[in-house]
Amino acid sequence: MSGTMVNQELRLDPAKAKLSSSIAMIMALISFSMLFATLMLGYFAFRFTSEVWPPLGMERITLGLPTMSTAIILISSLFYLGFESSFIQKEAKKSKLYFYSTLALGCLFMFAQTMLWSKLRSEGIFTGTSVFASMIYAFTWIHAAHVLGGIIALLFLLPTISGKRDHDKSLSLVQNVGQYWHFLGIVWLIMYFSLFVF
Amino acid sequence: MAFYEQHIHPKPTTFLSKYVFSYDHKVIGKQFLWYGIFFLLVGGLMALMIRWTLAYPGQAFPVIGHFLFPESGGAVPPDTYAMLFTMHGTIMIFYAITPILIGAFGNFCIPLMLGARDMAFPLLNMLSFHIAAISGLILLGSLFTPLGAAAGGWTSYPTLSTLIGSPGVGQTLWSLAIFTLGVSSTMGAVNYITTIICLRAPGMGYFDMPLTIWGLGLTAVLNAIFLPVLGAGVLLLIFDRVFGTTFFLAGAAATTGTGDPVLFQHVFWIFGHPEVYILILPAWGIVSDQLSFFARKPAFGAKATALAMTSITILSTLVYGHHMFTTQMSPLLTQTFMTLTMTISIPSAIFFANWLGTLWKGSIRFHSPMLFSMGVVFVFGLGGLTGLYLGTVTTDLYLHDTYFVVGHFHYTMAASVLLGGFAATYFWMPKMFGTIMNEFWAKVHFWITMMGLNGVFFGMMLVGYGGMHRRIYNPFIYEFTQKLIPINTFTTWSAIVMGLAQIIFVINFVHAVFFKKEKASDNPWEVGTLEWTIPSPAPHYNFKEIPVVKCGPHEFGNPNLNSNKDFQYQTEELA
Repeated sequence: MSGTMVNQELRLDPAKAKLSSSIAMIMALISFSMLFATLMLGYFAFRFTSEVWPPLGMERITLGLPTMSTAIILISSLFYLGFESSFIQKEAKKSKLYFYSTLALGCLFMFAQTMLWSKLRSEGIFTGTSVFASMIYAFTWIHAAHVLGGIIALLFLLPTISGKRDHDKSLSLVQNVGQYWHFLGIVWLIMYFSLFVF
Repeated sequence: MAFYEQHIHPKPTTFLSKYVFSYDHKVIGKQFLWYGIFFLLVGGLMALMIRWTLAYPGQAFPVIGHFLFPESGGAVPPDTYAMLFTMHGTIMIFYAITPILIGAFGNFCIPLMLGARDMAFPLLNMLSFHIAAISGLILLGSLFTPLGAAAGGWTSYPTLSTLIGSPGVGQTLWSLAIFTLGVSSTMGAVNYITTIICLRAPGMGYFDMPLTIWGLGLTAVLNAIFLPVLGAGVLLLIFDRVFGTTFFLAGAAATTGTGDPVLFQHVFWIFGHPEVYILILPAWGIVSDQLSFFARKPAFGAKATALAMTSITILSTLVYGHHMFTTQMSPLLTQTFMTLTMTISIPSAIFFANWLGTLWKGSIRFHSPMLFSMGVVFVFGLGGLTGLYLGTVTTDLYLHDTYFVVGHFHYTMAASVLLGGFAATYFWMPKMFGTIMNEFWAKVHFWITMMGLNGVFFGMMLVGYGGMHRRIYNPFIYEFTQKLIPINTFTTWSAIVMGLAQIIFVINFVHAVFFKKEKASDNPWEVGTLEWTIPSPAPHYNFKEIPVVKCGPHEFGNPNLNSNKDFQYQTEELA
């Protein structure tokens, strides 16, 4: 058969290989978005067909812990942005500082979530108290599971941070983890305003 | 066009790296094929038990009945009947059709037909299979739990699927298995889409891709978008069952909550209708290619076929409400969903006409893959046309939940996809295993299967039109259904014949894979797509040099061909 490519024309180009992982990340984020969009669809279906909100027998959740969680996750996103730009500019010290700050804030967010759940329980709000309570628990659980995944993804960057992995080859990984981390921040923001504020 | 060239990985040498933890898309494809065939047999056996119960209510199931159901003297008990139809539907849709059409042939064909060495993410691909295997184990495990497997139907509507309707752990395991399989399929979908975008051979535009790849690609898009919707639904169902949330509990079922069981139906069908196309699109693609290959003619209106499939993919996301006409939906909504459903007829008619156009005046070679592909054209025609009655509100109100629905969706989702799967298996057998199956027995398999499945599914539509409802253990307690017993008996014997015909396939397949000495040639069907430019079976690196594509996949009988063959490889240029 004729028509084969001379190898040199298609050698593994990191920039192009990076593009394929970005496409995959975009598809993965679309999938995650659909999961959370379905949850929000359920929320809005209940919210707009309910005569009173929150449903009878439930008070609004006090905003303290959710607001703190919002601040934590947003600041962690900003730190990650700082990490990304300092990583691209190969500023090792700065990038390490930003990275570990992001990781610490991620863990702090998880801690704030567990505080929120125990506070709800102490106030007598359990999963079966009402459909609103079910939503708060279920949505925050699902989001927290994704944040846990994000923290694990951050841990995968440790060899990159310690210089054990090639800088250029790690760039797409850093950017993809960043996209996922920012995505989780956006999802939390939507949940914060819809479940807790309005 | 290819973004980059993948490395040639060293050939795996150990048993584990070669067959269990393989990164090779071809091996993963074969793993999915064996997985799918296994579940096809399990689901098929369940179907025979269901059919036996409908033909001979209360009578012992032959041979294994006394072993499986000793308390009822070998007859299928009522609660087991509900588990059987639930697990049959679940297994056939998620664990047989999906792994065979999408898992096996998606994995096997996409890199080979695109001129790539592997999937874009081989590790993700391997994990996708292993997660699917875990999901299969969870589902099979649920059969052995104290109160038995899930029994709320494959749709698992609450409150049948909540703790009120299904108190055992079986339904929870069902939900967990479906969620896990969703994760696996989503991983596969991301991989397929990235591979199609990034690893097409140089020179291969989207319209130079075989239609098989179009079908698989569109399926992957639907999978990536809509499987998470089902994932969210079953996750909330698990929470309701395990953690006491009240999303789908209402009325007497809910002690404190104010949930909504119908919400699950919405979520299920937002996923569920695209799922129909997730299953059928790969078969459409395969058939569109094979009709051209064996009619020795270019695919008639190939671009229009690709665009029609794309239109159907988009429209399939907008019509889910036609599954819920009887849930007191507002007339404005029912009419909207009905109209949108009817618009699917337009692109469907386009590609169906293109299939007939491809066959018209072709020099048809009636090899076994072609017989199965033509079988798809016939059964999908019947399945598609009967769908119109269910998409129309007035007729659906009468036919809803009858065996007419069961017959219809078996024609579209079971018969078409099963025949498409067989067409693919017979066709790519030489490239997968290096041998070709016995053509005589393949044709015998086709004709008996074809007669059997038409007997089964047409019989179902007849009794459904006669008013027989689905999911009833013994429908003949009603006087008006007693006249339908002979048709049910005929349907059951058709199912038995169809089931027995599969033994021919299994023997032929196993013989060709393990015992046949005679090797297939590199291109036994004389087809020009890229996978036929390499040896049979395909080497582990696929292509030593990445091919450059110079024409489309359906170049047959071109007068400018300068050789004595009637087809052109995609890597060849015309004189």
